[in-house]
Amino acid sequence: MKKTAHPALLPAGLADVLPPNAMQEAKATEDLIHSFATCGYERVKPPLIEFEDTLTSGSGAATADQSFRLMDPVSQRMLAVRADMTIQIARIATTRFPDAPRPLRLSYAGQVLRVKGSTLRPERQFAQVGAELIGSVLPAADAEVILMAHQAITNLGIEDVSIDLGLPTLVPAICEHLGITKSSDVQHLRTILNQKDASAINRFSEPAAQVFGQLLNAVGSATDALRVIKGTSLPLPALRQCEHLEAVVSILRKKAADITLTLDPVEIRGYEYHSGVTFTLFSPKVRGELGRGGRYQLSGYAEAGEQEEATGVTLFVDTIMRSIPAPVPTRRLFALLETPAREIANYRAEGWVVIEALADHSDPAAEARRLGCSHVIQNSAIKNV
Amino acid sequence: MLANDKLILALPKGRILNDVMPLVRKAGIEPEAAFNDPDARQLNFATNNPGLEVIRARSIDMATLLSFGAAHFGVAGADVLMEFDSREIYAPLDLKVGYCRMVVAQPEDSAQEDNPARWSHIRVATKYPEITKRHFAERGVQAECIKLNGAIEIAPSLGLCRRIVDLVSTGSTLRANGLVEVEEIATITSRLAVNRTAMKTRPTELTGWIERFREAVHDLPS
Repeated sequence: MKKTAHPALLPAGLADVLPPNAMQEAKATEDLIHSFATCGYERVKPPLIEFEDTLTSGSGAATADQSFRLMDPVSQRMLAVRADMTIQIARIATTRFPDAPRPLRLSYAGQVLRVKGSTLRPERQFAQVGAELIGSVLPAADAEVILMAHQAITNLGIEDVSIDLGLPTLVPAICEHLGITKSSDVQHLRTILNQKDASAINRFSEPAAQVFGQLLNAVGSATDALRVIKGTSLPLPALRQCEHLEAVVSILRKKAADITLTLDPVEIRGYEYHSGVTFTLFSPKVRGELGRGGRYQLSGYAEAGEQEEATGVTLFVDTIMRSIPAPVPTRRLFALLETPAREIANYRAEGWVVIEALADHSDPAAEARRLGCSHVIQNSAIKNV
Repeated sequence: MLANDKLILALPKGRILNDVMPLVRKAGIEPEAAFNDPDARQLNFATNNPGLEVIRARSIDMATLLSFGAAHFGVAGADVLMEFDSREIYAPLDLKVGYCRMVVAQPEDSAQEDNPARWSHIRVATKYPEITKRHFAERGVQAECIKLNGAIEIAPSLGLCRRIVDLVSTGSTLRANGLVEVEEIATITSRLAVNRTAMKTRPTELTGWIERFREAVHDLPS
């Protein structure tokens, strides 16, 4: 006998979002998008599914192994469901707005689907809200996106959001300079740095042990970390990147001195396709990341052939939902069958949720309580039940 | 996980705790008396430091507790950290205690006639299926793992499989079960491990503790 699954059972990592959470999520998404809009970021809406090769090229390669795929019977080509939206916005910027003035400011919100959940995010479908600032190489652009993301989250009532800055291109630049090119060596080094394993670094040969040892020591508060980095002898390209980072830090310090700013120059995991300053937003109240972003290069669709730079942020609505205050319960009002529509409309305009009776009730107060209403409209007046 | 909450340090139960406690004390942490009572049912304990609590947990659970931030930092074996390979855990300090090795072993007689180059698929009994799979996959061998939580050395003699991956310190258990070590996968020591979010949101406190443990490791002869 075939055993049928319970109708409520969903595939792993997928969930029904119920009241009041569904409403709260929609509201949070709307608030975040609104925050971005007030900074001049205009919303775009790419499709859920695209051709696999466009969705997984360039920086999309970062999520290529996270994407569901299916075959399009119409074009006979492989399609992929988006696992991240950044690549779609980059595509829109280069193909739909090649001639729009730069910098270009775009925002987006939507659901993404992933093949596998992670330790802290077992969900395979979740919402992203993001913004991209396209076409500026200036440190002020990085600072704008970072501060805007911080403000957007703070606007939702989340306190003490801290920012962890990173520079994922630093380690590869130093490796190249020191001649560490063998892929197994680089891999080993990455593992060590990801785990912040200072003892394993000491077993590396000089001068790598010294340089990376110092960088590991630099992890922590941004001001201290910058001082340590400047004390290390770095090759020229790495030095340029550090100067850019320093400029970003100084703008952030000047514009918002009270934000907790940490710096981790050896964090590379998850930033394989970034080309400059990156950042992650944390709250001490929740585990996991509220959002992350950074500078990357747009893959060149442009006929001109030159590569454009962008810096953007992706906010994770599921993590954000775990850290925002519980929604204020709405005031619910029960309206009897004979209540005029105009009267009901007025109460709704005042902020009441009005539940209308579908039949006559002998005990309206009892019916109101049964439906979760605190008040009832009777003879054009509100009565407490 | 609240910023003004106490920091929670997770310490492993069992044999390893005896090696770790001198370091913990040297770092200036003295748990309340009940902690030293092996019969105490209590699982979390106050310390001489009002901002710090200690919990006792099984070694194998350390990676889980630390990656979810249930404990902010803790002592975890490199074996457990390798097995879970969590991106939410940093392991900044080698405590240089709990030294042992993770090895592949098999019955002495079969080891002699075996040619590893011919393997495409092997069956292995182990407590560490992920490490085992990764280790063999790197050289093109598919390892089918039988997960056991103890008495792994007995598996070959019971006909469960021919090979095991396990920790050895002196090698006497292997010998007693007629097994020989054929390959070393890694040397293992205990690490001071830290939850990533905690490290990012409470960097000053945690780097302070890491530093104190670092000095303790330096001061105590291993």
